[in-house]
Amino acid sequence: MMTSALLQAINGVSLASLLFLLASGFTLSFGLMRVVNMAHGAYYLLGGYIGLSVAQKTGSFTLAIVAGGAAIAVIGYFIDRFLIRRTGENHLAQVLLTVGVAFVMGDVALHVWGGDNLRVPVPVFLRGPVVLPGDIYYPMYRFALIFFGLLAAAALWLLYKKTQIGAVVRAGVDDREQVNATGINVDRLFVMVSALASFLAGMAGVVGGAFLTLYPGAEWEILVYALVVVIVGGLGSLEGAMIGALIVGLLDAYGRWLLPEFSYFVLFGPIALLMLFRPRGLFGREY
Amino acid sequence: MSGARLVFALFALGAALALPTAGGPFWTGLVTQMLIFGLLALSVDLLLGHAGLFSLTHASFFAVSAYTVAILQVRYAVPTALAAPAGIFAGTLLGLVFGLAVRTRGVYFILITIAFGYVVWGVAHRWSSFTGGDNGVTNVPFPSVGGVGITSHTQYYYLVLLVVIVCGLGYRILIRSPFGLGLRGIKASETRMRSLGFRTGLHLYAAFVLSAALASLAGVLYVYYNRFVNPVASAFPISVEAALMAIVGGSGTIIGPFLGAGVVLGLRNWVSSFIEMHHAIMGVVFIATVLWAPDGLVGLAGRLRSRLSKPAERKP
Repeated sequence: MMTSALLQAINGVSLASLLFLLASGFTLSFGLMRVVNMAHGAYYLLGGYIGLSVAQKTGSFTLAIVAGGAAIAVIGYFIDRFLIRRTGENHLAQVLLTVGVAFVMGDVALHVWGGDNLRVPVPVFLRGPVVLPGDIYYPMYRFALIFFGLLAAAALWLLYKKTQIGAVVRAGVDDREQVNATGINVDRLFVMVSALASFLAGMAGVVGGAFLTLYPGAEWEILVYALVVVIVGGLGSLEGAMIGALIVGLLDAYGRWLLPEFSYFVLFGPIALLMLFRPRGLFGREY
Repeated sequence: MSGARLVFALFALGAALALPTAGGPFWTGLVTQMLIFGLLALSVDLLLGHAGLFSLTHASFFAVSAYTVAILQVRYAVPTALAAPAGIFAGTLLGLVFGLAVRTRGVYFILITIAFGYVVWGVAHRWSSFTGGDNGVTNVPFPSVGGVGITSHTQYYYLVLLVVIVCGLGYRILIRSPFGLGLRGIKASETRMRSLGFRTGLHLYAAFVLSAALASLAGVLYVYYNRFVNPVASAFPISVEAALMAIVGGSGTIIGPFLGAGVVLGLRNWVSSFIEMHHAIMGVVFIATVLWAPDGLVGLAGRLRSRLSKPAERKP
């Protein structure tokens, strides 16, 4: 019992790592550009598929991650520049438009990669179990994912809080017009953040595709998890995305373990509670 | 109602009554679906077009109601006279819970309703001992009350038509009532309405629950038409397509959501006869609507009419 509880905690934290990759991009693009991009899940899936093809061709997992991320960064740039930008700050239009984009991407992916569950091949040294103290066997890959997530979170955190670019982005989240008036090229800033968000989503697809597998419909399932993370953490907040990812990851792991038929229902709890006490999420603000 | 509109309404009614004889089963089936999904779109539009809230969880009420009817009729042999009201009741009850979402506005409301919708989908999908999992509940009979029953899809079409006309008239009264005008006021400026003494949160909550009840009614009509229900009915694409139908047709009108449902369903039917990628086509419709027809068909028609009838006013 104790062992299972511990294993579920590791499961939860490794899922949280993945969710953080996806939610951080979503929340940053909202914070800075006020863009609600429902195609984020489709970015994840398409990035995963592209990474899968690259991994099959080259045999390199690292290359797959980079290729998945980079391809989506480019695709995301064009979608942002030529479609989303035209909706202004109308969230309703953004949601409909990006859902449409996600439908198109999902269908294209279905026709290229088919409808089967596909798994991104993992390099040899990440396969097999790791033995934890107390003779507990746990998949090495998910363990590595936790470190990868921590690394990504730390890198994003440093970028956001300690570099000049990060300072400008934070300023942009607080008051975009003021930043523009100071002579900073806000447009270039938008392109960078949007590319980073897309890159993270594409990368998450490759990393996630190695243990959750890739299949049609996965884009919406993962998107909803990311949305709950963002709702719980508060839109536009990187800290919120970290805490939210942990909460959702752990709840999901314990929910699946204790109430397998109602695991989705477990996600409903934190949202309902938040709505009663903090409608804007833990770190959110008024938009 | 002006003379021209009355003539149009009578003409439409005549066409609707003559459809099964003139159009045959294919068109009757398509129009039945259009009426059912139009009703769902109308329920979404009560919030979207009148109160300014973009809900993406309406498939939940639709599906919960459909599941309730199906499970009661198929597994417990409960008669229609009890099962159909029970379906509407169950969907409305869920609306009372999900209505909590009106504590939030704007983008939070959108995201929270999406998450709610997935909770219901997850339950339908995973709680297979009760919902039948991916297979859902099959063999739902045609409705019958007190020995008098529907026996064909044509008869069912007339029943749906009657229900939709009654709902349309009721909806018209609702949106012209002080309650409906209050919703419009909240959409235009919530702070002003609040300073006028309206309890805007309660107003929106009531609208949400009413809208859920209407979506539940559409769910009842759907399950008797479809004769089965599975998790697809509760899935996100249904919610977002219902919103799309309202917008394509013309949000804030009564006829718009039905027109939009006709366009979306007709297009999908036509396209899927020669192309497999109908999801992608739907996606393109979403994108095109947002970019080029944000006011929908009714808006386009209005623009066209004002351009034709009042050329003088367009001069600077």
